[in-house]
Amino acid sequence: MSVEHHPSDEMLAGFAAGTLDLGQRVAVATHLMSCPRCSAFRRTMEQVGGEMLAGLPPADIDAGALKRLEARLDQTAAPAAAAARPSIPHTEIPGLPDFVRRYPAGRWKWIAPSVYLRPIVLPAPSDTRVFLLKSGPGTKMLQHSHTDVELTCVLSGAFSHQGGRFGPGDFDLGDETVNHQPVVDASEPCVCLVAMQGQLRLNGLIGRIMQPFVRL
Amino acid sequence: MAAEGENGPDQEGWNHLIGAVAATQDRGAFAVLFKYFAPRIKTFMLRSGESEAGAEELAQETMLAVWRKARLYNPEAASAAAWIFTIARNLRIDAYRRRQRGTALESQGADAEYQMDDAPLPDKQLDAMQSEARVRSALKQLSAEQIRVVELSFFEERAHGDIAKVLGIPLGTVKSRLRLAMVRLRQLLDGLS
Repeated sequence: MSVEHHPSDEMLAGFAAGTLDLGQRVAVATHLMSCPRCSAFRRTMEQVGGEMLAGLPPADIDAGALKRLEARLDQTAAPAAAAARPSIPHTEIPGLPDFVRRYPAGRWKWIAPSVYLRPIVLPAPSDTRVFLLKSGPGTKMLQHSHTDVELTCVLSGAFSHQGGRFGPGDFDLGDETVNHQPVVDASEPCVCLVAMQGQLRLNGLIGRIMQPFVRL
Repeated sequence: MAAEGENGPDQEGWNHLIGAVAATQDRGAFAVLFKYFAPRIKTFMLRSGESEAGAEELAQETMLAVWRKARLYNPEAASAAAWIFTIARNLRIDAYRRRQRGTALESQGADAEYQMDDAPLPDKQLDAMQSEARVRSALKQLSAEQIRVVELSFFEERAHGDIAKVLGIPLGTVKSRLRLAMVRLRQLLDGLS
């Protein structure tokens, strides 16, 4: 199945430039795992980064800098620390990038009927919280909007809302202008990686009553 | 040794120099790379908000990584400048993170976060789509002005109004040029597949 919903060009450029917030970078990296088209765009942007670098005006470098560096060239690099054991093994959650598997992950927590959340602990402070969200077949999420940007990348299963149908690899962006009610396909559960800034805002009376209980 | 013009060696010249570092730990070749790239990496770090001392240190660390990783450089996948840019970018992210936390870096740094080699796609498909030649031929069809607004906007993170001042063009032109550049790149990349 081919990926149909992609991050914006601006977001891919920010990824390549290294200016995207870590949590959002995780969401984009997850999409890139299954999207050769966006991967090619990312490579192109890195190429532009190379042209930018090569075209910058040179700064003054300390006169002895090269000599001092040459003295270090024979030193062997400190051995890289052994890669942490993945907290989410490869047999689980297909489509997750390796580096995300090695981040500490919490346990699945029940947050609403047939909806479970598993937090992923980022190695550095980020404005964005990252978690896995698993919703049972046919789950209707509460109508909601966002106080800030929420990025979703589907790992397995699919959901639909006004913006279309989202299957494995598809990337969805919600912000304060989007007010929607995703519905999970009836055939299988849907697992997504979500990178969320701000809070969810649930609409309607039931939503407002539920709000204190589903503080995501 | 490759001829060194005002802009440094050309693409093949750079590849040759990195190849010499990889194959024979050629210090002469490394010195040429250092003289061209270290001062520019320092400018990149200064513009990213690093202090004078921090920028100098990161320029050195980047070049040390170029020396140590030269064997990993694949000219089929990226230009020399793009490869060095990604090393500098990752070290800058790590340095920023160390400052934020005020502690030693965790075992996997930004390098791991940009490592996409384990992608479950068939390698050949990825290679073909991301090859340097393919990307370069797409970029070649963009005008220098178009590439400049992309650089300023995303790599120097300048506001559109600021870019208008730097380039001496109206704000509307900055926006339309940027949008056209991105759309055109997408079309070119899709068309080449």
